[in-house]
Amino acid sequence: MSVHVSTLQARISGESTASSPLSTEEYFVNMGPQHPSTHGVLRLVLRLDGETVREVVPVLGYIHRGIEKMGEHGNYRQFVHLVDRMDYLSALANNWAVTMVVEKAAKMETTERIQAIRTLVCELQRIQSHLLWWGVFGMDLGGFTPFFYGLREREQICDIFEKTIGARLTMNYIQPGGVMFDIHPEFVKDVKAFISYLKPKLVEYDALVTDNVIIQERIRGIGKLSAERAIALGATGPVLRASGVAHDLRKSEPYGVYSQLDFDVPVGKDGDCWDRYWVRMEEMRQSVRMIEQLIDNIPEGKTFMVKPAAKIKVPAGVHYSHLETARGILGVLLVSDGKEAPYRIHCRTPNFNNLWCIGEMATGGRMGDLVAMLSSIDIVVPDIDR
Amino acid sequence: MDALNLIAAVQALQPDAKVREQTDQPTLIVPAHALVALARQLRDDPTLRFDLLETHTAVDWLDEDRFELLYLLASVPLGHHLTLSVSIDRDEPVVPTLCEVYPIAQWLEREVYDMFGILYDNHPDLRRLFLEDDWVGFPLRKDYEDDFMLERPE
Amino acid sequence: MGVITDKLPGVLEPVPGGSVLLTAVDQLINWSRSNSLWPLTFGTSCCAIEVMMATGAARHDLARFGAEVARPSPRQADLLVIAGTIVKRMAPRLRTLYEQMAEPRYVMATGSCAICGGPFMYHSYTTVRGADEIIPVDVYVPGCPPRPEAFFYGLLTLQKMIKEGESIRHPGERRRPVLAALPEGMTLDDIRKEMQDLLSHDANVNMAAAVAEGARYSSELKDF
Repeated sequence: MSVHVSTLQARISGESTASSPLSTEEYFVNMGPQHPSTHGVLRLVLRLDGETVREVVPVLGYIHRGIEKMGEHGNYRQFVHLVDRMDYLSALANNWAVTMVVEKAAKMETTERIQAIRTLVCELQRIQSHLLWWGVFGMDLGGFTPFFYGLREREQICDIFEKTIGARLTMNYIQPGGVMFDIHPEFVKDVKAFISYLKPKLVEYDALVTDNVIIQERIRGIGKLSAERAIALGATGPVLRASGVAHDLRKSEPYGVYSQLDFDVPVGKDGDCWDRYWVRMEEMRQSVRMIEQLIDNIPEGKTFMVKPAAKIKVPAGVHYSHLETARGILGVLLVSDGKEAPYRIHCRTPNFNNLWCIGEMATGGRMGDLVAMLSSIDIVVPDIDR
Repeated sequence: MDALNLIAAVQALQPDAKVREQTDQPTLIVPAHALVALARQLRDDPTLRFDLLETHTAVDWLDEDRFELLYLLASVPLGHHLTLSVSIDRDEPVVPTLCEVYPIAQWLEREVYDMFGILYDNHPDLRRLFLEDDWVGFPLRKDYEDDFMLERPE
Repeated sequence: MGVITDKLPGVLEPVPGGSVLLTAVDQLINWSRSNSLWPLTFGTSCCAIEVMMATGAARHDLARFGAEVARPSPRQADLLVIAGTIVKRMAPRLRTLYEQMAEPRYVMATGSCAICGGPFMYHSYTTVRGADEIIPVDVYVPGCPPRPEAFFYGLLTLQKMIKEGESIRHPGERRRPVLAALPEGMTLDDIRKEMQDLLSHDANVNMAAAVAEGARYSSELKDF
């Protein structure tokens, strides 16, 4: 038996591995937690040999808020608004993940209308999240224009959400037993107007960035991740699909009304930064397709099945369910002892697993490409730390 | 593969595995010493192919004086799920690591060590993940006490 | 009179000991400081999207208020916007960032987390309950997260505070912190109108008033 508890200090103060007198000395560079391109407060300790990255040691916990502990002290409804603040760019999908496991465990029934609305707003938010990623990706590569373009379109989605939900970012909309409010009377009109506005814009994005030689030269062939390693590292979402694995819970284990929708799962070939870029751009188009199919066919029915203040009790046992957010599989594990508060609640967050791929991608690559790789994983740090 | 066939197939590999009640996914209770060998078989068996360790976490059953470790396995090509449950003594929380079978376990286990203080035998880099190295206590244990924490007034 | 005093609406002020001090330049300095705040790109969680990104983008356009020059290095920034939760592990880093900023420096706490811990106040073993436990805060902007308009309201509050506040005569003396909560019953149109008024008002520094103020002050000093 050999259990040895190490420390960060011991981890990053290793002996130099320079073997020949001609080889350069390796050194550590600290990146973050305050760094403009780590998307929050991620800290990476890099072991470098000149410009070549030998090792990436992510150091976490700069936004660890203890959401799982707090979940044990509140009821199920109170946990929903906490997960908003994990992956805030997929707040609705986070709400839905908790809602899904509670509804499944407590055997609550929902209507077709509830499921259709949930699907619709989640797909809108997927576009919103990818637009923001696209803008920030461009900015990380040194071009400021995509940021303005992406955020401009994102504001329109925010307006649609604001009319129905009342919030722009942290929604708390999808609740166990339904959705908070029915959709706004102008929702359908607004979404249609937005979709017809967005479609030519996506073509414009391709002309501006996707087909740009500089961008292609910059991100093709760097940060490669093979399919086997992606699965072994637990990557999901666009990161996994870019490596050529068509694993999408919307297709393989349909929830909501995804089974009635016709859409494709875009898959990459090499798993490099370019593939991850392309997969996300293509996912936006697929989301547009889904919204177009759904927007005229929202069934009638109730939008809340239980009273908003009703106490929810979940039978004792282990319950798990998962769904596909904009970044991958978000699973919620719920251990109940039959009381009003969960005995233990754990979130399997997509960013946590996706982050570790950076070690695989960056090792042996150039220091200057690291930011592009990090940006192509599309990390939201509070979702890693929780 | 449906739940009953799956359980039968795993029990053929590991006869000691018992079915855990009160779960919505097929769940098997496995003795700690058999964990690594079973996981490797589950990953490599062509009819099972559990290649994705979806998540790993622990539950502190304070009244029963044990930790329950849950390993949620999934198969990307075949699309089925299986949960392994390992119970260990609360006073001596040591289990073998799954790092060699599933590389992602390295970080998932570090998180569980950070939150529950469970020690992983043969883990290559066991240290705290979210909290500082000098943090005292393991926050997600049910008996964790911290003067800093505020109770919500009723 | 030298070049500086010819160009600037100040007066030369005799000080016992022989040196001179420019007084009414205060107003000009404060005006220029308030209108060219350089924020530090610092965001820990959700508020960063609303407060740092959405405000900087085309629709809301932080540049209207002269605060769009976001700097990644604290040494080049003078406005620290705490956008998001601060946890124990981040707290010393935040303090370091604040210490590294050059004086005069201003701090805005945006969002409930930075004000009091917000939704993570209870039962959290790491969340710091308010950024003001670590560094002094000038303006608080409530919201979870605050809308970009609410952030602008806070920014304008800060600008007002800078203009009225510190002088080179009493460096380091500040007004008390302000809670820049939007008044109740205020609509979006009201905010936009107020912003326009403020912007058009702030676009011109009142030179005549500055000169008059300087003259009044120097006449007071004559008695001294």
